[in-house]
Parts: sequence; C-alpha cells; structure tokens
Amino acid sequence: MTRTILHVDLDAFFCAVEEQRDPSLRGKPFAVGGNAEGRGVVSSCSYAARRHGVRSAMPMVRALALCPHLLCLPTRFAAYRASSQAVMQRLGALTQMVEQVSIDEAFLDVSDIPEPGEVLARRLQAQIRDELGLPCSIGVATNKLVAKVATDVGKASARCDSPPNAILAVPPGTEAAFLAPLPAHALWGVGAKTADRLAALGLRTIGDIAAWPPASLESRFGKYGRTLSHHAAGIDDRPIITEHTPKSVSRETTFARDVTDAETLQRTVHAQATDVGRRLRRAGMVGTTVKLKLRWSDFTTLTRQASLPQPSAHDAEIAAAAMRLLNQLWQTSVPVRLVGVGVTGLGSPPRQLSLWEVERPVSTERDLRLQSTVSELRDRYGYQLVRWGSEVPQT
Amino acid sequence: MKLTCMQDNLNRGLSIVSRAVSARSTLPILSNILLSTDNGRLKLAATNLELGITTWIGAEVEQEGSITIPARLLTDFVNTLPNEKVHIELTGGQKVRVSAGHSSADIHGMDPEDFPVIPTVTDEPTVRIEPGLLKEMISQVAFAAASDDSRPVLAGVLVKLENGSLTMAAADGFRLAVKEHEVDVDATGISVIVPAKALDALARLIGDAEEAVEITVTPNRSQILFHSENVDIISRLVDGNFPNYNQIVPKQHETRTVVDTQEFLRATRRAFIFARDSQNVVRLQLEPGDDLRPGRILITATAAEMGSGADELQATIEGTGGQIAFNAKYLADVLAVVSTGQVALETQTANAPGVIKPIGNGSYTHVIMPMHMANR
Repeated sequence: MTRTILHVDLDAFFCAVEEQRDPSLRGKPFAVGGNAEGRGVVSSCSYAARRHGVRSAMPMVRALALCPHLLCLPTRFAAYRASSQAVMQRLGALTQMVEQVSIDEAFLDVSDIPEPGEVLARRLQAQIRDELGLPCSIGVATNKLVAKVATDVGKASARCDSPPNAILAVPPGTEAAFLAPLPAHALWGVGAKTADRLAALGLRTIGDIAAWPPASLESRFGKYGRTLSHHAAGIDDRPIITEHTPKSVSRETTFARDVTDAETLQRTVHAQATDVGRRLRRAGMVGTTVKLKLRWSDFTTLTRQASLPQPSAHDAEIAAAAMRLLNQLWQTSVPVRLVGVGVTGLGSPPRQLSLWEVERPVSTERDLRLQSTVSELRDRYGYQLVRWGSEVPQT
Repeated sequence: MKLTCMQDNLNRGLSIVSRAVSARSTLPILSNILLSTDNGRLKLAATNLELGITTWIGAEVEQEGSITIPARLLTDFVNTLPNEKVHIELTGGQKVRVSAGHSSADIHGMDPEDFPVIPTVTDEPTVRIEPGLLKEMISQVAFAAASDDSRPVLAGVLVKLENGSLTMAAADGFRLAVKEHEVDVDATGISVIVPAKALDALARLIGDAEEAVEITVTPNRSQILFHSENVDIISRLVDGNFPNYNQIVPKQHETRTVVDTQEFLRATRRAFIFARDSQNVVRLQLEPGDDLRPGRILITATAAEMGSGADELQATIEGTGGQIAFNAKYLADVLAVVSTGQVALETQTANAPGVIKPIGNGSYTHVIMPMHMANR
C-alpha cells in the first residue's frame, strides 16, 4: 500500500518564537545563539540575516563579521520547548503516527486519512500559523526520505526575507524523477565526506547515484552503499517510529574560556548531572552507567564510566558518580575545554505492585517528588528560577 | 541470694532470655537480666517492654533473693566458663559474685525493684496448641509481615481462633500469607494481632518441646502469653484492625501452573543471584504444553551490564500461560516454607496477584503482587 508521509519543519523556529515575543524583530537580521565574546555559535537566524550569509552552526563572531548589524539574542530553551510541545500536540491531534525528530521537526504518517496529503498539509500549516503564530514548511511524499527532501527543496525555492511557508508534494511514482536533478548532498544522510567520495566517481546528482550499479556502490561503501542506491531511487520503507527509546542521555558544556579551577568544573558537572537526572525522570527511565567526558585545550578527549549500584535517575547519585570520575581523571590546573555527563544503560524501572495499591513510604520518595516539582517549575519559568545551593557561585 | 547451678543450664537460660533484652534503650535497667530464686529454681527474665521472656533453670538455693545484672556482661562471662558448678552470690550493695572453678567476677547489678513486672500465667482461659503445629504455622506466615514498624498492624500476625479452627495471617502490603488449621479446642472468638517478632522468638524457643503450648490473652486484651516447658513469652498485642485479607485472595485464575517445589525454589534462588542487582526482578514465562511436549516455565533474571541467568522447568500448565515478574525474594521466601512436593502457581494477568498453594494441602494460601514492568 502506498503511504502518505508528511514532513513538518518549523521555519527558523527559535527566531519565530523570538519574533512572537518581540514583534519589532520582524524583518530584521538577528540570530539566536551563544555569546559572541566566547565560542558561541548561531543556533538559528532570521531570514533577513540569512540574506547576509549568516547560517546556523556558524560561530557568532563570524556571523557578526558578515552582518555587522546582526542582533544577537540569547537562547531561551524553555520557551522553545513550550512552543514545540504546542506544535507537536496539534500534530498528534491529526494522527497518533507522529515521529518527532527534533525540537522543530516531525514526520506524520497520514496514510489512514482519506484526504490528499497536500490538503492535509495546507490545513495543518494554516492551523499552526493561526493558532500558534509559527510558520512552517511541509513536504508530502510516499516515504520519509522523499518527504524530507521535498521540505528542503520547497524551502530553498522561496527566496525572500520572510519565512518560506513552503508546501511541496511529490506524487506517488515520481520520487526518482523528483530526486534525480538534485545534488548528491541533498540526499538525507549524505554528508560532505560521502559527497566527496561520490564526486570522485563522477556522481554529482542523485540521479547519477541512482543510475550507478548498486553492486559497485556496495563494494565501495559497504552496506550503506545499498541503502544509498535505494534512497537515490526514492525508495525508503523506514516506518514512523512513534516511541523513541533513547540509548543514553547526556549533557555537554564547552567553556567560553578553558577552565582550570576545580570549583567551576565541579559546579558544571553537578548542573549537568542534575539536568541528565531531570530528563531521565521525565522519560520515566533509569540508567545503570554514568559517563564523564573531558576535553583538554589540545582537543584530547577522555571518557570514563562508572556503574551505579542500582539503576537510578537520581540527581545526587548521578552527580556523585560523575564527581568521582572527575576526581580520577582531572589533575588540578589542567585546562579543560569541554566537560560532559551522560547516563547509559537505560531502562524502565520495575515497580512492585501493592496488595492495596498503597505505596510503601520509600526514603527517596520525598526526594523524587521534590525533584519533579523543581523540574516542573524550571520547565515553566526557566532553569534559573530554582537552584541548588551547590550551583550558586560563592561570592 | 546465694545459689549454685550448672554452667550449661545457666548458659542456655541466658541465651533464651537474651532475645528480649533491649539492645539500645533509654531505660538502662532494660539492658539487664533479672535473676531471682523461685521455688527452688533460678528464674531468669528479660523484657524490652514489647516482648518479655522468662525461663527457669534447676539450682541449689541456699538463700532466697533477686538482682538484675547487665545482660551482655553476664552472658559473655558465663559463656566462657567451663561446664562446672557456678556459684552466684549477692555480696551486698547490689554487687554479685559469679564464680566457677578458679574464675570469678564481681558484677555491679541494679535494684530488682526497678525492673518492670513481667506478668505470668493467670487463671484466664487458656488454649493449648501442639508445639509442632504452632511452629509450622509461624514459619509459613510470620515472614510475610512487614519488617519495619511504620504500620504496626502490618508488622503483626493476625491470630484467630474460631469454630475449632486456628488461623494465622500476615501481609506486608506486597504479599499475604494465610494458614488455617483445625484445632481440638473449645475456646472461640479470639482474634488478636501479635508482633511477628514475638512469634519468631516463640517458634525458636519452642524448639523440640513436646508439651502443648498454653496461650492466654490478658483480660484487657493488651498482652498475650505463651507458656511452654520452662519458658514464658509475653508480648504486647498490636492495637488496630487487620485488613480484610479475604478480599485480596483472588477467587479465580487464568493459568494454573503445577511444578516441583524444590526445583522451582532452586531455580528462583539461582535467578535471585542476578536479580539482586536489578531490584530483585525475576521473570516467569509460563508456556502451556501440547500433545507433543509438556508445559514449561522459563525463569530469567538480568543484572544490568553484568549478565543474566535462565532456568527451564517442566510443569503442568492449564490455561493461557503468559508472563509475570516477581520479586525473587518473595518467591523464594514462600517456596522455602512449602512442605509439599508440588506447588501450584495461579495467575491471571501480568499485573494481577499470583497465588501459591501447596498441592495436597489446602490450608495454606500465599498471595504475591507482581512487579510492574513498564514498556520499554
């Protein structure tokens, strides 16, 4: 059976949220991201800024050089998360078959809805714009790969200072023809390195790849070669994954300036452990292993891990393990560029059922309640609202 | 007070009453053992105000009297003495000399007048129960009581005597054990909650006693007294209402699995080795057999990132089969006290209570709530 897949991508999402907060930003070149004084990068930039050559993931310093009038705004993740949730809620109202890929991107399988995909896409786009004030672009196709490429092509064809609000539908049967003229790197999963290797074979467009003997690609790229042939021909039967099970939860921080003092490192590790614990609890998961990652100023990267005595999502237990690893790994005054805390070995915590469904008072239950309350407050009013004593710098 | 007794008798008596000595008490005298002469015998007694134990040993009494002595000091000292005659003598000023052979000790005691009164047998109506039965019932039920005192009723065992039947029941909130037995007594209408710790002490102290144990509830229903050969145990009763356990015991099942008790126990204990590092979870997969092969139970447990264990047992399985997860400790606890060769496990769904019943003995029922495994 032919499927109908929508790929919904919010246009310059962080910027759109900022414009909602401050309508005077509309039409102006601005970027959301890290501090220009340090090593901050552009997380999202307005379409006016894009005209000056500013792009996502570009160092803020470089963006300012390209566009001196660029307004730099700090990221407000809590606000973006809230907007994202509102969008996902509306997608979920259309169908349960929603796969959220990132904060501003999702796939929908609408095969069961009799209306044409393009009609659904128009209605969804209007709804998100009218109810939430957010622009989005939508690709419609018979599979995830082509739908995503359709979104990208639709966005690229709109050339102006305002969000593209593109909708592009690729009719069933025309997938290969649609992809053929596009450059190889437009194919989802083809990065700069793969594109270079393909170019060395004289394969510059997706059509070139589709015409190349699959066996030859497989001999050069291994298993991925076969996938590449299929994808280039517009074939992709990956299903919509409605429930995403993460393998690990982690948090990393690159310091604006290399850090040599223990207190800053410990405070950062503690904050990261707290964040990881919060995300685990929200996902209703526990982890068995804590990982600590350290990168020195010369980019040497070390990772060490330790097992937790019990699978846990408890801030203090994660922090304690991370802190022990930090003490083992880090010698005083060695400059640290990056530090990160992660938890792996994730699973669901089993729960002993009660004869009367009355929970036995557990010593940590109060703790867990406190932590989830703090998490909720932070989600609604921002991380800085409530802080643990250990996070507050000594004056 | 002046008397002589044998070291082994004294040693045994002290170890019996030591169970009731308060390890940490705000009342220093509760760390002591009361020694007093009683009708040509030496009476030893200890209490922690919840539980009191009294025992009597043979002695040659020269002079009547009584004293309390620090339990630990006396017990440890007597324990090291040779098995000879031990002389105990009050030397004045609450001081006691304990001597045997060439060894002697002078121990400072405390005034026996300050020691709490431990009630003994009165004229109240008494129920007599055969000690072997009492021991068996306690061993099958008391372990299911809660080990913490946060809900005293659940740390107790319901003891009910009604219509010629003695019932004991205990439930810690996650499991329930009920044992009933016909008894040849007239007394009826007794229903009390006894702390599980007191019954455990009783079961140990009955030992190989042959005489029936006499059970008396004090008139104000605040204490229960067990009188066995040479040992009296008195316990405070728990005030409160025991939960209506009849509602908890499932009346029907979807799957009934009959398996060899000892094989099931050994497999569960093996799984426990892995389960103890992951919240004690053991999973049972119940697969009914067909014309070609018998039914089987797959018992598995996984220790995160360390390994896993699996056992496969042949079983007679009637019904739909399915999967259920239990706390390995709860499962092993009950299987260890099932005395019949085969045992039945009755289950419904993965989140509904499982019932363990010995085959060929309808008087014991054990309910275990499963572990809820969230979807991955």
